[in-house]
Formats: sequence, structure tokens, C-alpha cells
Amino acid sequence: MIRTGLLGMVACVLLQSAALAQMRAPQVSEAACEEPTLRCATKATPAFGPDGTLWLVWMAGGRVSVASSQDAGRSFSVPTQVTTTRLNLDWGPDARPKIVVDRKGGIALAFSTFRDEAFNGQVLYTRSIDGGKSFAELKPITANNESQRFEALALDQDGTVFAAWLDKRNRILAKEAGQKYEGAGLFFTSSDDGGTTYAEAKLAREGTCECCRLGLAFAAPGRPVVIFRNIFEGGVRDHAVMTFADVATPGEVRRISVDDWQINACPHHGPSLTVAPNGTYHVAWYTNGKARKGLFYAHSRDEGRTFSAPMALGQPGRNPTRPFVLAGPAGMMMVWKEFDGEKTSVQMTVSRDDGETWLPPKTIASTSDTSDHPLLVSNGKQTYLSWMTKADGYRLTAIEDQP
Amino acid sequence: MRFRFAGIVSLGVLIASSAAFGTSPALKPFERGTWQSVLRGHAGRPVLVHFWGVTCGPCKVELPLLGQFAKDHPDVDVVTVSADLVPNLPAATQSMLDKAGLSSTENFIFNDGFVERLRFEIDPAWQGDIPRTMLITRDGTITTIEGSAEIADLEKWSAQQLSKH
Repeated sequence: MIRTGLLGMVACVLLQSAALAQMRAPQVSEAACEEPTLRCATKATPAFGPDGTLWLVWMAGGRVSVASSQDAGRSFSVPTQVTTTRLNLDWGPDARPKIVVDRKGGIALAFSTFRDEAFNGQVLYTRSIDGGKSFAELKPITANNESQRFEALALDQDGTVFAAWLDKRNRILAKEAGQKYEGAGLFFTSSDDGGTTYAEAKLAREGTCECCRLGLAFAAPGRPVVIFRNIFEGGVRDHAVMTFADVATPGEVRRISVDDWQINACPHHGPSLTVAPNGTYHVAWYTNGKARKGLFYAHSRDEGRTFSAPMALGQPGRNPTRPFVLAGPAGMMMVWKEFDGEKTSVQMTVSRDDGETWLPPKTIASTSDTSDHPLLVSNGKQTYLSWMTKADGYRLTAIEDQP
Repeated sequence: MRFRFAGIVSLGVLIASSAAFGTSPALKPFERGTWQSVLRGHAGRPVLVHFWGVTCGPCKVELPLLGQFAKDHPDVDVVTVSADLVPNLPAATQSMLDKAGLSSTENFIFNDGFVERLRFEIDPAWQGDIPRTMLITRDGTITTIEGSAEIADLEKWSAQQLSKH
């Protein structure tokens, strides 16, 4: 009997130690490895430079790095480390480092870190003027010390860098005034020196959903347009666009569709926006509303005043997620992820009539472990799928014209 | 008697080792197959499974309310699952559970880098939004509450489970 008891005792201790050790060991990671190399990246964001060079910024091992490729992603230059120390980078599902490359080859970057144990964020930016060999010291995009996350960068034709992000600075004022504060504010700024310095941050809209990525593009020179998950009356987290009159003047909030997703939660699933050369807005988003559930696409030919009826994307039983839409040289292209219980695939569809009709979706990539969101990037001649996967590394895949 | 003594010693060592590690009962790893284990382990009892995360604002508000609910309703098995995407943070997770009065419930933390697969096992339609609460009746019927749950709704559901018993 005592033997049984002792065995039980030993077993208990061993089991508990094993359980503790399990939770004390490094967490099972979405990264393939922990070094700052591209192979270990969890998020990678591409941009083509004016000379056709592909630039890639990624986060891996708590650092942000940049490298370039002259052969469409088959090989990359020796990476430049943007951050010199390991940072608590924002690892939220919709967070990623951002990059724009201007006509002179200047590179502007922005990304978020968690600044404290309460997961308040800070948006940092930097710039390279020597072809990515070095980056300036990191600076906060705003002096405010509350929380900023989900920054977006876009480059205007004249080289102005426009930035937007979600910012919780006004929750303090609301709390002091005894008012309820929901979500976060959509804040913005711009830089007329290529991302070396940014103007003082301004509020565009209070009461937006605080945990979803933004989409950002230019409707026309000097006129940024942002897509975001707004919080409408009654806590309904549906999508909206805002077209700025200029880089310092926000516009109206224009609702994309009445999905009626009333939820007090973090969907962790933001929208995508691109503007065609003719000015048509093309948007894609996820909702779980009363009116519709799943991924949807719509377009607007009047700067967001009205949108086409939402078009469902993907197979409902395969959990379609993470849509990305891009106006490319061969037409409008859209990608998203689907999951069949074992594998994640990237689905792609094309429209050659400015979003009126779309060709049947086609699987263009798949992986058997976790993966970043699928992104599209174009050099003006060819559109590519940019996809970081844990099992198969980074992929830049030229998308064929005919699906 | 010896068995009881050994059992007491065993318990003592367990408590001592727990104290030495300075932890509440360890967070359990939530991996492939865990969801089915949870369902099997609580079969025949009313269960409330709450999915949340340390970076989720609404979760921070809801968690202490759930802690009070768990205290007031010992007849309902309360299970929490920290379902923030990896890298998940055991220390921050445990700290928030402790502050919310949920130290002694059965607490899991996502422990698989392939979160799509974990979520798919639980609900193929779930895209990862949190908080999310699944109410499971004695006969296994699942009702899902997306977003913050109203405690009044949980009370009502709990009362229904008791009245059926």
C-alpha cells in the first residue's frame, strides 16, 4: 500500500513538474525559429522600389529587418537590422511592419511594439536614405504616451508619406469626464520629407474598433482614403471608409455595408482596400453580422458614397479569412486564406471589368502549418503573392494572368 | 491507514512543490485534441467554456465578472482558455486569472503554433474573435456567445440547467 502511495506521490510530483516545465519552456511558436533571419519571420511585408527592386521588411526573433531582392524574391541581400535590441514587437494577428519606398529610393518604415505589461502599443518609425544599408534611430510617431497600434503607411505621388493608426489617448479624457469610451481613435499624420519627420498627430474619427488592421491607399494625389472597422450606433462593428480632402483634413465616415455585427469583442480581422487608376474603390472585409457572415467584396465608383452589393468570397465550410485586394496591371486581384482542417490554402480571383465580375477562385499556394496573411504586391508589370509560412518559409509567387 | 498517510505526504509534497514554483495550479496546454478531452471530461455536467486573451480589451472587463459567476455557481463547471494568438504569455495569463478570481477553475492556454487548426477543432466557423463563451448543457448541446457575455444571460442559462436536473 505504501508502495502505491509513494508511487502516486512520485507520479504526482513528476506530472506536476512536467506540466510546469511544459508551460515554462518556450511557448510553441508560430515562428519556425527564433533568430532574426527571414526564415524565422512571422510577418513579412513587401514593397517594390521604382527601379524594380523588391524590398522586404519582416519581424523575427523580436527584431525588425530589411533586405532587398533583384530576382523577384529568389535571393535576398544581406539583411539590415532596423532594431538593434530585442523588442516586444506587437505580435497581434493583424500587426505587421510597414514599408514604403519612394521615387528616390528612400525607405520609410513603421511598426508597433508593446510598451508595457498592459499591452499598450507604441508606433515607431525610421527611414533609410542609403538604399537600406542603414536606418535612422527609431522614433515614436507621436509624442503621446497612451496606446497606438495598427499603423498604416502610404506614399503619395509627390513623395509625401501618409500614416494612420488606432490610438487610445482619449480614453483618459473620457474616463476623467465619467464617459464611456469604446474602441480607439483613428489618428493620422503625414511627412513631407520622406518619413524623416512627421507632423503632429490629428484625430480623424473617435470610436473605431481597436484591434483590426487598417487599409490605406490614395484616391487621388493628395487624397488618402482609409478603410477601418468602425463602431456604429449600438456597438455595431461594421466597415467604413474615409476619404481625406487633403493629407491634413479628414472626410466623412461612409459605411460600406450594413452587416450588423454587434459585438463587444476584438475581431482581430481587418479589411483591405485598393484604388484603381480610374478611382474605383475596391474593398474586402470579414464580418460575422446578422445580415451576413464571412468574407465579402464590394466596390464604389463615387468615393465611397455608395458601394456595390457585398459579394461573398470563399467556401463557407473552409473558414475563408484575411482578404487582400490589389489593383494590378492585369486587373483587380484578390487573395484570401482557406483552411480544410489540415492545410491552409491561398485562393485567388481576378476581375477584368473593374470589379463587376470575378473569375472562379483558384488555389495558388498552400501550407501545412501556420502562416502570415497573404499579401499582393505589384511592380507595375506583374502582380505577386507575398506569403510568409512557418513550414515553407517566405514565398514570392508571380500570379499568372489566367486563373 | 498507510495509504492515507502516503496520500497526505503526497499531497503535502504537491503543495510544497507548487509553493516552491510559486504558481497557482498550472495552466494546462491547449493542444490538438484538447477540445474533445474537455468535452469528454465534463460530459453530463453543465459547462461554461470561456475563450479570452490578455491583449483583448473587452476580455479584461468581462473576466472578473466571470470570476464572480464561477464563485456563485459551483454547480457549473467553468473552464477558461487563453486563446490569444501565440506567443501566448503564461505569466500574464495566470496573473489576470488570479486577479479575476479564476485561479482554481480549469484554465488552459493555447499551446500550438498552428492556431487555425486549434480553432477549427473547436468551431470551424470561429475566426479568432475573443471573448467568446460556449455554454454546454448536460446533453452536450452547445450555445455560443460571441463577444462579451451578459452575466444575466449566464445566470438564466445556469438556472435552466439546474431546473432540468
